[in-house]
Amino acid sequence: MTSDTWKDYVKNKPKKPKPLSGLRVLEVCTIVFGPSGPSWLAEMGAEAIKVEIPPLGDLERDLSCSGFRFKEQSPLFLHDNVNKYYLGLDLHKPEGQEIFCQLAAKADIIENNLRPGVMERFNVDYRKIQKINPGIIYLEKNGFGQWGPYAEENRPSNDGASQAFSGIAWMSTFPGQTPIKQMIYLSDMYGALLAEVAVLSALHHRDRTGKGQYIEISQTESIMRTMSWVWPYLDITGKNPPPAGNRDVSVCPADTFCCSDDSMVSLAAAAPLEFAGLCAAMGRPELAHDQRFADHLTRLQEENATALLEIIAGWAAQHTAQEIEALAREHGFAASRVRDAAQVMADRHTRQRGFMTQMDDAMYGTYLDHEFPVMMSATPPQKKWAARAVGFDNEFLMKNLLNKSEEELKALYETGALGKWADRPGRRPPPDWDGSSDLILSRDQTPAQAERGEK
Amino acid sequence: MSADRPKWAEWADWVREKDDPRSAGPKLEALGDLVVLDLSSQSYAGAYCSSMLSEFGAEVIRVEPPQGDFLRTCTPYGLVHQGEGLNYLVEGRNKYHVTLDLKQPEGREVLLGLAAQADVLLETFPLGTMDAWGLGYEDLKQINPGLIFASITAHGQFGPEADDPMPDYDNVAQAKSGIQYATGAMLPPEKDTAGCPWAVSTKASPWIAWCSAGTFMATGILAALHWRHRTGQGQALDVATTEAYMRLDNYTHIWFQGGGHVTERVGGLDNALWLYCFAPTSDGGVFLGGLRLEMWQAFCDMMGKWDEWGVGEWDSLSPFLNQEAQLKYFPEVAKFTSRHTSGELERMAVEYSRSGRLAPITTVIAPILSPQEAMLDPNWNERGIFTPTQDPVYGRVVAAQAQHKMTETPIRTKWSCRPVGYDNSFIYRKYLGYGPERLSRMLQDGVL
Repeated sequence: MTSDTWKDYVKNKPKKPKPLSGLRVLEVCTIVFGPSGPSWLAEMGAEAIKVEIPPLGDLERDLSCSGFRFKEQSPLFLHDNVNKYYLGLDLHKPEGQEIFCQLAAKADIIENNLRPGVMERFNVDYRKIQKINPGIIYLEKNGFGQWGPYAEENRPSNDGASQAFSGIAWMSTFPGQTPIKQMIYLSDMYGALLAEVAVLSALHHRDRTGKGQYIEISQTESIMRTMSWVWPYLDITGKNPPPAGNRDVSVCPADTFCCSDDSMVSLAAAAPLEFAGLCAAMGRPELAHDQRFADHLTRLQEENATALLEIIAGWAAQHTAQEIEALAREHGFAASRVRDAAQVMADRHTRQRGFMTQMDDAMYGTYLDHEFPVMMSATPPQKKWAARAVGFDNEFLMKNLLNKSEEELKALYETGALGKWADRPGRRPPPDWDGSSDLILSRDQTPAQAERGEK
Repeated sequence: MSADRPKWAEWADWVREKDDPRSAGPKLEALGDLVVLDLSSQSYAGAYCSSMLSEFGAEVIRVEPPQGDFLRTCTPYGLVHQGEGLNYLVEGRNKYHVTLDLKQPEGREVLLGLAAQADVLLETFPLGTMDAWGLGYEDLKQINPGLIFASITAHGQFGPEADDPMPDYDNVAQAKSGIQYATGAMLPPEKDTAGCPWAVSTKASPWIAWCSAGTFMATGILAALHWRHRTGQGQALDVATTEAYMRLDNYTHIWFQGGGHVTERVGGLDNALWLYCFAPTSDGGVFLGGLRLEMWQAFCDMMGKWDEWGVGEWDSLSPFLNQEAQLKYFPEVAKFTSRHTSGELERMAVEYSRSGRLAPITTVIAPILSPQEAMLDPNWNERGIFTPTQDPVYGRVVAAQAQHKMTETPIRTKWSCRPVGYDNSFIYRKYLGYGPERLSRMLQDGVL
């Protein structure tokens, strides 16, 4: 039974293997679109090495929530960079490029989100790496891909531009209003996710054939893929589909309504029994037999849908969100209040599932963060540690992966090929860091020495 | 484009020759060795997930009840194309469609035969349904230990509310995620919601929570396949739609832990970035983007505020990153953008990059396009996103495709959809050796 499969899932998570263990990922990624993907791989057990240009590193470290930072760190950076090793490597320098190639020879996956041609300028583009490592899976993500008119114009892109360009913002608004931006970086996050489907498919191909490959992805092309019916609708009718606010025009009824307690509730009740349940819950069982609402395709028609949603809006306005949720449970349709951050954080279900997971980090302490949202019974993904400062793991990576001597390391620092964090918030370790916790390998000071207060 | 190509044009040509979707046909398929049973029911998350796999070449067998999946009726405004709803029309892609009544013992027996030969089984039934049919993971792993058994539901397979009977819907998951709450127009000063019914929490238009659940599940399935490749071991996977979508929110949960801050709506503005907003124009709206101080200064210059605001003296973007500052400057920005068309502003930014005071630095200015404008944009057509599929049954179908461009194993759309039960004879012959007599008997008995 199900209970056997998932019994003690959260408790046993640390004891189980991870599905991508043994894979090495090199990322040269910035802001949201870049680093999210390697994080997901790292949550599934891959060894992700985050290459940042020292001393400032990923620009995402700069972002705050209206000035709010978590122990100096950007909340966004903290969320998008977990389970990684941090390498401060300057790819502008030939010595840095050489190190990158040495690491690439031992890597399985490389990801970046730079503009076309930049990796070539760094002498670490796919064509060069492929010669060193034919099995490499090499992903480049950006706004417009590697070829085509916009790519060749060198057009910059970002999440907001992609929301604007794809048509998604125009659709996600109320009729006649200036479009609003999604609060989340939807094109970035979704594009990053879709890209990993390609990376892992390529891995499957490599598992079978030993061959690697090159992958390019555009955040706008990715988000367009989610807009399903919009494109055939345009092709068939020749017209723009009108923006519809909170109404789901493919499901009826499905909309968001104002309740009597100033909150809002979203509900959906499309299948026959669900719709009959909603009608019963509203005390209007006869509506289930009304010919305007007789079946789903009929109900979806504009005139009928408008009439039905008006009836529901009138009913919802007389009830609290909580009452409507209880009625939904009782009568077999779906409803939820539009939850704010406080309500989301109070949800014991997601916590007990280990989705909202308790971090216990040597630098950032204890806080709740999102676990990878696929629970895997044999190989559970797991967030293990949080963000680190620029170049934090230089010594460990150079020794462990490339066995660099002290002299070599010194030379690399002297040329500036290797570097560490700038003394600025988000770039450096948090202010209460003790100078040694979580250093994996330090030539200056071992943790034991630090404990004894030795220099 | 040809007249003035970038320095890296040779690279662009090399990549294009290798990954242009037009040359995908004869290439290998990444998942060409896999058989996927998609039992998903009333769930676009399920259909979308199996599409991801079928685009990469997996043989996806859609198992529907004899009357077809309810999802086929979920179509905008009730519009159908040759009897098919538009969402299903594009998400049946590359899949084989069979019918099977799992409520009948014979239907379940047939399914066991298919499951024994499958690599992946995807289902979206309410918790406990598959177990009650004797088709749960614990049952199927006895006959197929390598099977990957993937479930997408509203609340997941375990946890205190796992047995909540509510069905899984995209709009309800968006409401639960916390994201809808913090997205939407701000209420204008001294107005109320009754007068401005559009100034409320607003969901994203596509089935984005369902897409997120389906796409995350696809990554989970692929990771599990890699694990199986190494160990031979299959496993069960569990995605709850709300959690999948919530995972795309970068910060509201962390911000909340910094003193209980609840993220509220900021309309076209942004909590973390400036200059980074949507602004109205005389013919629509634009996105303005400049994550560096110089890019914001460039925009101030375009607005003619260089001297008035002492823009040249600014040395940090930090003072502009709080909401108070944004609400102070945004009305000025909007006043300026409203006097121009989106096209004028777009050209202004390009011109500034050539001859402005801070050139080549300029501001990213992108028009907010309608889907029609986006679809007509030659860029996406050149990149193969809207190439019509010539479907053997439905004829010309335009669906977004070719979003993954890869040199060795590109995705492709072979056909768009299939009617209910269209592939019964092929699939049941191929996997179970059933012939016409057996199939017509099963049809009579209502098993198919």
